[in-house]
Amino acid sequence: MKYLILGGMLLFLFPLTVYADYQQDFENEFLTKPWAGVQVEENVCISCHSSEQMKPEFRTIPEEWQASWHAQNNVSCEHCHGGDSKDAALAMSPQRGFLGSPQYKDVPQFCGKCHIAILTNFLESGHGKALMAGKKAPNCVVCHGSHNIRKAGIDIISVQLCTKCHSYERAKVMKQALFLTETRIGELGKKLEELKHEGVYPETDEQSLFSTQAEFRALFHTVDVNLVKGRTGEFTAKLDLIDKNIQNTYSLLKFRKNFSTLLMLTFAGMGFVIFLMTQKKDE
Amino acid sequence: MWTKIRHWIDVRIGLDNIIQTQVIDYRIPKNTNIFYTLGFLAVVAYGIQVVTGILLLIYYVPHPDHAFGSVQDIMTKVPYGWLFREMHAVGSNLMITVVMLHMVTVFLMGNYKRPRELTWLGGGLILIITIIFGLSGYLLPWTQLSYWATTIVTSMPTAFPVIGEPISQILRGGDHVTATTLSRFFALHVAILPPIFLALMGVHLFLINRIGISATPFGKIDEEKRPLTEYKRKTYPDGYPYYPTFFQKQMYMMMAYLAVMFFIMTFLPTLFFPSEANIPADPFKTPHAIKPAWYLLAPYQLLRLIPNKFFGIMIQLILIVVFLLWPFLDIQKEKNVLKRPVLRGVFLFLLVMWVVLLFWGRT
Amino acid sequence: MNRRRFLKMILAFLGSVTFFSFAFSFLKYLTALPASATAANKITIRKNEIASGDAKNIVYQNKPAIIINRPDKGFIALSLTCTHLGCVVEFNKSRQTLLCPCHAGMYDLEGNVISGPPPKPLTALPLKIEGDSIIIG
Repeated sequence: MKYLILGGMLLFLFPLTVYADYQQDFENEFLTKPWAGVQVEENVCISCHSSEQMKPEFRTIPEEWQASWHAQNNVSCEHCHGGDSKDAALAMSPQRGFLGSPQYKDVPQFCGKCHIAILTNFLESGHGKALMAGKKAPNCVVCHGSHNIRKAGIDIISVQLCTKCHSYERAKVMKQALFLTETRIGELGKKLEELKHEGVYPETDEQSLFSTQAEFRALFHTVDVNLVKGRTGEFTAKLDLIDKNIQNTYSLLKFRKNFSTLLMLTFAGMGFVIFLMTQKKDE
Repeated sequence: MWTKIRHWIDVRIGLDNIIQTQVIDYRIPKNTNIFYTLGFLAVVAYGIQVVTGILLLIYYVPHPDHAFGSVQDIMTKVPYGWLFREMHAVGSNLMITVVMLHMVTVFLMGNYKRPRELTWLGGGLILIITIIFGLSGYLLPWTQLSYWATTIVTSMPTAFPVIGEPISQILRGGDHVTATTLSRFFALHVAILPPIFLALMGVHLFLINRIGISATPFGKIDEEKRPLTEYKRKTYPDGYPYYPTFFQKQMYMMMAYLAVMFFIMTFLPTLFFPSEANIPADPFKTPHAIKPAWYLLAPYQLLRLIPNKFFGIMIQLILIVVFLLWPFLDIQKEKNVLKRPVLRGVFLFLLVMWVVLLFWGRT
Repeated sequence: MNRRRFLKMILAFLGSVTFFSFAFSFLKYLTALPASATAANKITIRKNEIASGDAKNIVYQNKPAIIINRPDKGFIALSLTCTHLGCVVEFNKSRQTLLCPCHAGMYDLEGNVISGPPPKPLTALPLKIEGDSIIIG
């Protein structure tokens, strides 16, 4: 009987030799394809711009973009520059809406295609007005970079950046005005991450925090310290609400811990008591 | 009052006789050990899964748009929903552990040998069904972890030439994990597997009762003379009575099981919930490190290691077939594993390799 | 009392604590009713408060929302939480669209996504018209 089974298994092993080259096909299909259900398509912009034929100063762009916050959120070349990222011939064609690199003065409108609220506030600001009047002024790229854009934070306001045009004094005042709110937003963000680790998914609070933060930072772009100080109250109120929800969740989690501790102890206790009952003692 | 009720039932089905034969006169051999309660624990574990599962079923919605939200509602809005969900999730991992431990101890005590081959086969099938339970249940919360781990596991059959791709397609209901996959995994988990499991468990328990408990080879009691040529139920007239002695052992082990479950729920709540387990599934964003659940890590790692995928999957299938049919292949009379160094060595080697592959698969 | 009885008493005590904890959770779990508290949170406004083509911002269940009087299809109430990352969407009267200031997600007046990153349409809120009034919720 066992020989029959063993023989059957050996028969199975023979096809291995026939399918030796299947290994190659399989490697292509199994090992190298990403696990994603949707296949990631080749971006022709990236292929040309990282090739050997490209000018050295343009060749670093794909790498810089790869490390950026845009790349992590699937914002790629054509979303800002237009063009066709799938067709090499039409990749930079005006027919496909290719815009090229914007001039220094046109950068705010370029980024403002998507970042609308920030554009609006920027144009009303001292920085924006100076830029439109042709005077010495910063555009988006000066503070945020162009391709390796990182997630925005309060530390972009720095001595080396702001003193390019004027003294650090006013930047410092602004940074101070932003500081408390920004710190609080950071803390709440961390607490929400913690809650996610604990098994709760605080979707509405996450969204609320994001929109509060976005609005607050859009407001900053007016570079109007009085405005920021005046409206800090309403932002703090929103953050208070989020904080309250988080506190509620924490106390909920505490109750659960206590409840399950109680049950754990009763089960362990009962187990121990029954165990004692099995021990025969001379009475 | 109880006596009256008992008598009423006894007149109709002979309850007293059942109690007499199954509880009072049922004797357990003196040299059994604590591992003999593992089978009962597996049944208890399953019972807990069924009860908590049915409770979850009341509020869970098996559609990709609502699955994650409904589980979140169970965790946050439904009173004590968190309790039953965590019991179900932790319980599933504990149940698989218990079933595996039960298998290992039965093997090491040689309790699969003739005439108990069918019991072992049934048990092996139960283990496989339990793992499929785990696999199908894993997808249901529709989190990043669920979605991508399922994508990997349903791609593993593609290691087969020709029939591999169709198998994967049938499992997933298409090219990718979609709402169709969720529906069929849900049907599997809730409607198809439970009756199969219960049937197998029923057969398994019937066989144990009918054939009689197998004594370990480590004590003084010797098993009957081999080979058996006719049916004889194994009894132990000088063993200890099932009730209260063995029953109490089963009870405190059940308490220990529940204590472990609640210990994990209290002090290690994130043990089975990495952060990807709390984010809704996103078919367009693959997390950095996805892997199947721990009980599938060893096969997964083996597939990753062996360059020829077909060979890799064949080895595993052959091992599974050998495992299921082991009592038919191992017809040596010697039951005591301490006296069989080769078998002991091979088994321990395989066990250690399984653990090594598991940890390796985690990286 | 002897040891056996003592142990049995403790077992009975622990057993009932466990049993009643589970029974209590069981019952609460099974008899949970959806938040009936929010049923009280209805918002009523008069039809003539919103001109055709115009809209009114409201707060529904602590979240921003809007009632739009569409020229062709009548009243609709939508949540103003953008389905992309949660920013508050703004009504653009001249273009008759809803625009998100964070990343330019655009919705039509049904709440469907016209362009931009939002993955899902805006949530529609339950709206009833009774005579002269619009009731949300």
